[in-house]
Amino acid sequence: MLLLGNEAIARGILEAGIGIVTTYPGTPASEIGDSISAIAAKAGLYMEYSTNEMVAVEVAAGAANCGVRALTAMKHVGLNVAADAVMTLAYVGVRGGYVIVTADDPECYSSQNEQDNRYYALLSNLPCLEPSDPQEAKDMIHSAMEISEKLGLPVLLRTTTRVNHTRGPVTYGRLAKPSLRGELIRDVKRMVMVPAHARLMHVKLLEKVDRAKEISENFGHNVLARKGKNDVGLISSGAAYNYAVEAADLLGLDLGILKLGMTHPLPEKLIGKFLKNHKKIIIVEELEPYLETQIKAIAKDYAPNVEIYGKTEKPCFPRKGELSTRLVAEGLAKITGKKLQIDFERIDETYSQIAKDLPARPPILCAGCPHRASFFVIKRVGGEKANYPTDIGCYALGIAPPLNVGDLLICMGSGVSTAQGMRIATKAPTIATIGDSTFFHAAMPGLVNAVYNNAKITLVVLDNATTAMTGHQPHPGTGLTGMGSPSEKISIERIAEGCGVKYVRVVNPFKIKEATTVLKEALQHNGPSLVVFRSPCTLLSVREKRRKGLKIVPCEVSDKCSNCMACIRLLGCPALVTEKGHVRIDKALCVACGLCASVCPYGAIERRSGDQ
Amino acid sequence: MREFNAVLAGVGGQGTLLAAEILGVAAVKDGLNVRVSEIHGMAQRGGAVTSSVRIGENVLSPTVLDGQADVLLGFEPLETVRNLKSASGKTLVILSDERIPPTELSAKNVAYPTMDEILKKIRQFTEKIIAVETERLAGKAGNILTRNIVLVGALAATETVPVSLVSLKGALRELVPAKHLEVNVKAFELGYEYVKKKC
Repeated sequence: MLLLGNEAIARGILEAGIGIVTTYPGTPASEIGDSISAIAAKAGLYMEYSTNEMVAVEVAAGAANCGVRALTAMKHVGLNVAADAVMTLAYVGVRGGYVIVTADDPECYSSQNEQDNRYYALLSNLPCLEPSDPQEAKDMIHSAMEISEKLGLPVLLRTTTRVNHTRGPVTYGRLAKPSLRGELIRDVKRMVMVPAHARLMHVKLLEKVDRAKEISENFGHNVLARKGKNDVGLISSGAAYNYAVEAADLLGLDLGILKLGMTHPLPEKLIGKFLKNHKKIIIVEELEPYLETQIKAIAKDYAPNVEIYGKTEKPCFPRKGELSTRLVAEGLAKITGKKLQIDFERIDETYSQIAKDLPARPPILCAGCPHRASFFVIKRVGGEKANYPTDIGCYALGIAPPLNVGDLLICMGSGVSTAQGMRIATKAPTIATIGDSTFFHAAMPGLVNAVYNNAKITLVVLDNATTAMTGHQPHPGTGLTGMGSPSEKISIERIAEGCGVKYVRVVNPFKIKEATTVLKEALQHNGPSLVVFRSPCTLLSVREKRRKGLKIVPCEVSDKCSNCMACIRLLGCPALVTEKGHVRIDKALCVACGLCASVCPYGAIERRSGDQ
Repeated sequence: MREFNAVLAGVGGQGTLLAAEILGVAAVKDGLNVRVSEIHGMAQRGGAVTSSVRIGENVLSPTVLDGQADVLLGFEPLETVRNLKSASGKTLVILSDERIPPTELSAKNVAYPTMDEILKKIRQFTEKIIAVETERLAGKAGNILTRNIVLVGALAATETVPVSLVSLKGALRELVPAKHLEVNVKAFELGYEYVKKKC
């Protein structure tokens, strides 16, 4: 079967008989949870989209400590959110096997940073496995479960975008019946981390690391992938291994290659022996010199004279971004003196000539996206003087011209809190934006902080009734669970009122006049205010309309158009295009939201369908 | 078997992922080793997207080396140009006539380049070019949204992909929802015939 890496992981979950899967969606990990959610009820396992990654780890840790096999999937930065739980769960350990999948995103394809989460393995002392393709990703779920149960320790499975989002052939194993039956066997010394117990459990954890080292020495995915005939050896792991092998072949290099599938703890003896057998060692890894620094330490004991090439003293590979066969080949050519058969420089030169006047095409808000209406209103009210801290989600695309809303963005939930600091520092009106799913994930402590410290900020919740960016997963405001069963929606406005916010309003951002009035009032309110701009994600509402057989008639530009270009200058909607100096509406893209009709000063855009 | 490398270039929402998956599933049906790379998440929101399909015994990495594409399948003319780094003299460029102006062009009130200008740029890399009227053919098939499948049909007709026509059609049947199947099969056939007649 051809499976996406994330689908292969989901298959591994079913083959390992895992009883509980928790997640918070995040690219590139999202399809793990989505694949499980689609079949959870039928397969007889429990699945939830937790409110955030820390909750996800804690729910799973509770079950795993009652003996049920569990797995939590998240993107790399999700592990920052979960880190508080993970660091001490390492002391407590687990009874049922527990795997945490952390999906790193080298090149920041869909992320705010490109941190290397293998360091979490070092920091927490947890074992870490690194698959290089979908088949290994599936198989390593089994291995991770076994290691976890052998040691009584959670295991990290670290993937990268090119593993999660690569499709490859996968051979299936047998499905196992998931077990959800556990029991609490009280063990207060192991399970309740008060200082006296934590000191003891830290010692136990270090003993487990020693046992994990033995496992790593004999682990089936730590292998000598190629023997090689000369004195140059290469060590690699994960997606980088694929580039390394292809690059070596491209240069016709006959290298010994040690492939590491378990990168914490490292198999010291295996690596030591490999170092001894070579004069030069090349380490190919994505992002940080994680393997390199540890292998250099191993070299001191095993082969002090071996030359090691990687990213530090003699940098041959970049420490940032994604690797490629080309980047690795160029590094290998530099180290070995071999000449590349492909003239990449010429390709670059020809390409730079044809690409120099190529218009950019960054991601933008979809045609009909309610966030466009929201940002139009926000900018109209706040002008150039206001501060606009923003948050993680599609609405981060509000920074694109002509909307230009978004001044500070760090992490999930940062908007509401950074707003308070910005307000103190500038005294300027401050409007923070956040999505509905992100609100539940991380905004509530920040909101309480604003209320209690009477921060004069306005939080605008852009509620599109879904977790849009990652593929429309449910959240506590949607009325649906990961199991596909209904649940009572949790109201954002009632949470705000409950927290003590005195000015709380809900308005549809497409009703521009009304939304403008509300936001103006909110800004004038003496204390924190919260406005919910509520309108469903256009991708969902269009799908719904198509399903119901409703026709969407695109808007049209009439002959009243004076070519003032206000629509294009104010909104930047992809469906508004110019043709021979005239505005035209792209019929394939327009979903008849009517926002352009509302802003046209000449009433020259006609809206023929829709109900916003 | 010789290695096959394809780059699929388009704009988020055009269905490049489905096209790439069809090629991948077809390869597996024929018992071949394959890797398909995809980009999900933020990059998909109307931005430039690139997928790749690599078929061959020794293929490990999912991405295509610069200059080494056998086929550059362009779902949008400007995006085809943007991905020319993967092309060289041996590359066959198959491109759709579906033009999606980047908002930058509209904002500056600059015209979208003409097809001649686009082709001129492509010719700096390769002379092997097939332009497909996907808009007209998809319309003829019955749904303008099947332009991506028209292009897959066109690609199939060039016989550059080392998979059987039976497997390609089988993959299409597997991946397209039943109620849209008929129109998609038609789109595939129209793309296929278009190239067979033209070339």
